[in-house]
Amino acid sequence: MNNPYLPVPMRIEKVVIENDARDLKTFDLAFVNESDWQNFKFLPGQFAFLSIPGAGEAPFGIASAPHEPLVKFTVKRVGVFTTALHELEPGATVGMRGPWGNFYPFELMQGKDVVIVSGGFSFTTLRATIAHLLLPENRKNYGRILAIYGARSPGELLYKEELKEWEKRSDLELVLCVDRLNGASWPQREGLVPNVLKAVAPKGENAIALVCGPPVMLRYTHPVLEELGFAPENVFLSLENRMKCGIGKCGHCNVGPKYVCKDGPVFSYAQLLKLPPEY
Amino acid sequence: MKHRLITRKQLNELLDRLAQEVCLYAPVRDKTGTSWAEIRRADEACLDEVNTVEPAKGFVFPRCEVLLRFDPQGNPVEPEPPPQQVVFGIRPCDARGIAFLVKFYTQEGRTDPYVRARREKTTLIGVACTRTAPTCFCLGVGGSPQGSEGLDLLLVELGEELLAEPVTEKGERLVADLPPAEEKHLTAAEEQRKKVEAEISLRIDTRKLQELLPGLYDTPLWQTLALTCVNCGACTFLCPTCHCFDVTDETVRGRTVRCRVWDSCQFALYSRHASGHNPRHDPASRYRNRIMDKFYYTVEQAGMVSCVGCGRCIISCPAGIDIRQTVGTVQNSKCKLKNEK
Repeated sequence: MNNPYLPVPMRIEKVVIENDARDLKTFDLAFVNESDWQNFKFLPGQFAFLSIPGAGEAPFGIASAPHEPLVKFTVKRVGVFTTALHELEPGATVGMRGPWGNFYPFELMQGKDVVIVSGGFSFTTLRATIAHLLLPENRKNYGRILAIYGARSPGELLYKEELKEWEKRSDLELVLCVDRLNGASWPQREGLVPNVLKAVAPKGENAIALVCGPPVMLRYTHPVLEELGFAPENVFLSLENRMKCGIGKCGHCNVGPKYVCKDGPVFSYAQLLKLPPEY
Repeated sequence: MKHRLITRKQLNELLDRLAQEVCLYAPVRDKTGTSWAEIRRADEACLDEVNTVEPAKGFVFPRCEVLLRFDPQGNPVEPEPPPQQVVFGIRPCDARGIAFLVKFYTQEGRTDPYVRARREKTTLIGVACTRTAPTCFCLGVGGSPQGSEGLDLLLVELGEELLAEPVTEKGERLVADLPPAEEKHLTAAEEQRKKVEAEISLRIDTRKLQELLPGLYDTPLWQTLALTCVNCGACTFLCPTCHCFDVTDETVRGRTVRCRVWDSCQFALYSRHASGHNPRHDPASRYRNRIMDKFYYTVEQAGMVSCVGCGRCIISCPAGIDIRQTVGTVQNSKCKLKNEK
């Protein structure tokens, strides 16, 4: 029986504390069983449930790209499950089930510029997207790649070492920004993501925007993208509603008649305009 | 499949036999009316009430169900397959509810293996309604007091005899040895259907409702309609089609199970994100979600209105909210909205 509720065992290979507040950790997981690895096919934007017996399970966006050998998740410590996960060290086993949901529109993006807009720790699936697009065999299929990534303060940015490497690249324009500097020294921009987007002003012509961030960032990013000439059908957002099953049965993540887990989590802005604002 | 005739005595013999072979469930009398329980003898079944307090959905979608057990090493183990069971005395509205649940849970995309396995192991014997409660409105939402949708076998009481209408192979096997029904029995059943249906006056134009609801998301009507709602969730727990569940791990004496339990979109926690943000933070938005889901969302998702007109939400609501009034108000609100603009 193909049971979608049955998790496969994953071994924690590496744990990285991502931020100054120490409540964001990145877990690199390896498949315990070779056959599970063979069956795990996904594209950036999809998510999976992680679980620990007794502590429960919760959904997280996959932060690694398909070509990377380990499956990466960045998890904020907020509740029972995430606290239990944060206590685990390399060598421990967790359960994983997925991948669920859809992915960013890589086919539609071909031959076009890609503008990535991200705020806070929802950068995860967009980190996967960038890593995927930067693969030489993929990179040639896309135009300019611009990524704007903001956090509250410099210490809250994820994947700091990787960002340093990415800044050196000529085939990726990376714009980092923080909400407030409070006098700290920081070579990058200060300002909220929508304002930075407005200042950088990428053209909406022949371009696709991928947006992921907290609801308040999404609300203020739309008008800017619209001003820049991005048509609603060329703007894609990844939603994160509460969910329990991942397969469109438990009901929790509905936005009108659509389920974020099954019909999303990636929706075009044109699709969302037809749905109630329940995200 | 041919209609058959079964006497009360033969029916009792059949039920007695089934009780020996498999788990047999039927409505039995209790303090609150009738409720579903396992029976050993046919005469324990009680069909005196119009319907049971709880719907029959628990037979395919139990209130609490183990999804996985964890062995001492923490490896997940799938539970034993469900046992064979026969449910006797289910009313047509509740059978339609099960039909909806099975369709919703097993339709295209990912199938829920637990609901599918339970339905496969379950035989549903329905008994048509010979009278109605003031809260019944199956006819208003496309059902009938003699409807057979979702059943394996439908029985229509005609005095000392019952007309047996097999709906599936499973139902056919139960009555294959019985004599065929005669024309007069079919006529008597038809007359009874007309008589009972005449007791239900409410009609809901569900198609019109589907057209109206998408445009009524922002109407202030929801605030008024939900004003007395206390978000207790009774309407959803007692609804034959409400399918929402929560997944939770339970550890008792060192043994951990992952189970799912019924949940309700009427609760604030239901939609609250880990960040604290809640897309449906106010009671009116949750009440709206329930009505939208019944008459609009599930039509898009599974091609079915998910209200079967059993009336349990009306009976159980501590605030006296009546879904028929809500629907009536919504149906008549279009002109109001136009005037407002």
